[in-house]
Amino acid sequence: MWQRILIVLGKEIVDNARDRRSLLTALIYPLLGPLLLGLMISATGRVTVGGDPSGMNLAVAGAEHGQVLVGWLEGRGVNVVPPPTDIKGSVQRGDMPVVLVLPPGFDDDFAADRTADISIVVDSSRLSAVVVINQVASLLSQFNTESWGERMIARGVDFRSLQPVSIETVKVSSGSQISEIFLLMVPPLFIFNLFMGGAYLAMDTTSGERERGSLEPLLINPVERWVLVVGKFLATLFYTGIAVVVQLIALKIAFGFGGDHALSLGNALGFTVVLGILVVTLPLMAAAVGVQFVIATVTKSFKEAQTYLGLLPLVPAIPGMLLVFAPVQIQGWMMAVPTFSQTLLLGQLLRGETISVVHLAISAGTTLALAAVLVTIASRLYDREALIFGG
Amino acid sequence: MIDVRALKKSFKSVTALNGISFTARNGEVTGLIGPNGAGKTTALRIIYTVMKPDSGAVYIDDMDAGLEQMAVRRRLGVLPDSLGLYPRLTAREHIRYYGRLHGMGGQGLESRIDGLSNQLGMDEFIDRRAKGFSKGQTRKVTLARALVHEPQNLLLDEPTNGLDIGSSLAVHDLIRDIRDDGRCVLFCSHIMSEVAKVCDRIIIIAGGQIAGAGTIDELMEQTGKQNLEDLFLTLTGERGA
Repeated sequence: MWQRILIVLGKEIVDNARDRRSLLTALIYPLLGPLLLGLMISATGRVTVGGDPSGMNLAVAGAEHGQVLVGWLEGRGVNVVPPPTDIKGSVQRGDMPVVLVLPPGFDDDFAADRTADISIVVDSSRLSAVVVINQVASLLSQFNTESWGERMIARGVDFRSLQPVSIETVKVSSGSQISEIFLLMVPPLFIFNLFMGGAYLAMDTTSGERERGSLEPLLINPVERWVLVVGKFLATLFYTGIAVVVQLIALKIAFGFGGDHALSLGNALGFTVVLGILVVTLPLMAAAVGVQFVIATVTKSFKEAQTYLGLLPLVPAIPGMLLVFAPVQIQGWMMAVPTFSQTLLLGQLLRGETISVVHLAISAGTTLALAAVLVTIASRLYDREALIFGG
Repeated sequence: MIDVRALKKSFKSVTALNGISFTARNGEVTGLIGPNGAGKTTALRIIYTVMKPDSGAVYIDDMDAGLEQMAVRRRLGVLPDSLGLYPRLTAREHIRYYGRLHGMGGQGLESRIDGLSNQLGMDEFIDRRAKGFSKGQTRKVTLARALVHEPQNLLLDEPTNGLDIGSSLAVHDLIRDIRDDGRCVLFCSHIMSEVAKVCDRIIIIAGGQIAGAGTIDELMEQTGKQNLEDLFLTLTGERGA
């Protein structure tokens, strides 16, 4: 019996490996989601993270009037660059996020312990400039404090006695909280693609086979109908598996887009986590293919199947999308709900938490049971004459 | 041998078969003809086990087709009405797939495929993918995959439909070879002249019932018609005697 199943499986794998549409759904979709996520991580990283000013370009007008300040800035790794000719226009257009303007006599005022004036030209309505503006403001305030402290010491006063609180900002929030949100987005995305990967094959081997008239001759062979269904089911499962693996690789790469800063999620997908994800999602792949088979078999045409199977991936992704905004405390019964349990377990794995073996067993057991029921239903459907001959 | 006994089959309010019985013997080509909608395809589908009759039974080499489906299917080679191919598989892969589903394999299967390819004139396209095959090429592939396991009984639904004269003659020769080998052939067609040429006995089916059975000579005698078309129309009741 297994030999016949393997014959059907082999034929479907070879047949669909030659089909651009099958490969597209199995390979391209799983790449797109993680790629977009990676770009988002990278873009958000640039906007929100950046405590370290070194390497930053800062346009300074009248730099020659303020050698003290310019030297101090350069000492902190800031590249002081010449200002644009039209300072205000350039900031308004967004060519420069911020320009520092030092008036003539800055150095003289500074040397004479007088208050020296400077101005900063910014467009605070520009979101992307906010980080740079904050950095510049923070640098200037640091310069202010240091200079003031030196002047106090020169007058024989220990300035620390005048500074009851020393503020040091330890940046943990911005990076890690945002990466948490990104991690929450991964399970629904992952499950969406899992339901997408084998969709074309599920249609091609069921309603497609009927529509091109190759089902009837196939059924005349001395092979039980459930054997045909199981062979086709395994072929679809194989393509779903490919989509899942491709997606994991794409996610691993996308997480690397965050670079070295606090947003980097590169470590979230270590070997054990990847292995865990595969163990958690394998039963779900079987259930996904089962649903696809039943839908593609009962629908009257390939086109109808296409409509339903195109919408299907959204349904299991919904709970995960809601969890991004309202995380829940995991409870045992949740593990008995296929797709929901995987969403939660994937979340735990990605956050580096240990998952409970009991939870894993309940999740796998219920999901595999569902898959078995669905495959049985699909096999039974093939015993119905009306279905084969389209009556 | 194919033994059909009192088959009845209805689809909702339509009676497709209303108690037909006939026998297709070994070493003979039995023609099954009838007007469109007479019940030929339904009868064939019941014989080749993909449809169940409401009552009655089919025996293939004395085995009940309803009870011993797998054993019966192994003894049947069928060219059905639907000729769907997989566009991305080559002609050879189609034949190989069916051969393997029949439990064949290895060198035996490959040389069988080569033999069929040669016999049916498929050498030129045997390793080409089926997408874009002409109707004739498609029919040859489906015929070859029906014959790959050298079945004892052959059911052919309009096997020469879409074939040119040369290919049709090759199919006729093939059918005669199979008959001379002592096997059973049930040949469905609506081309009276072809049926008369290829078949030893003819069964005419109309309105879900047997309208006539016998050799051409017997039927001519029975109806008093010397013209094949007249004979057909008289028996099927499409034109009064």
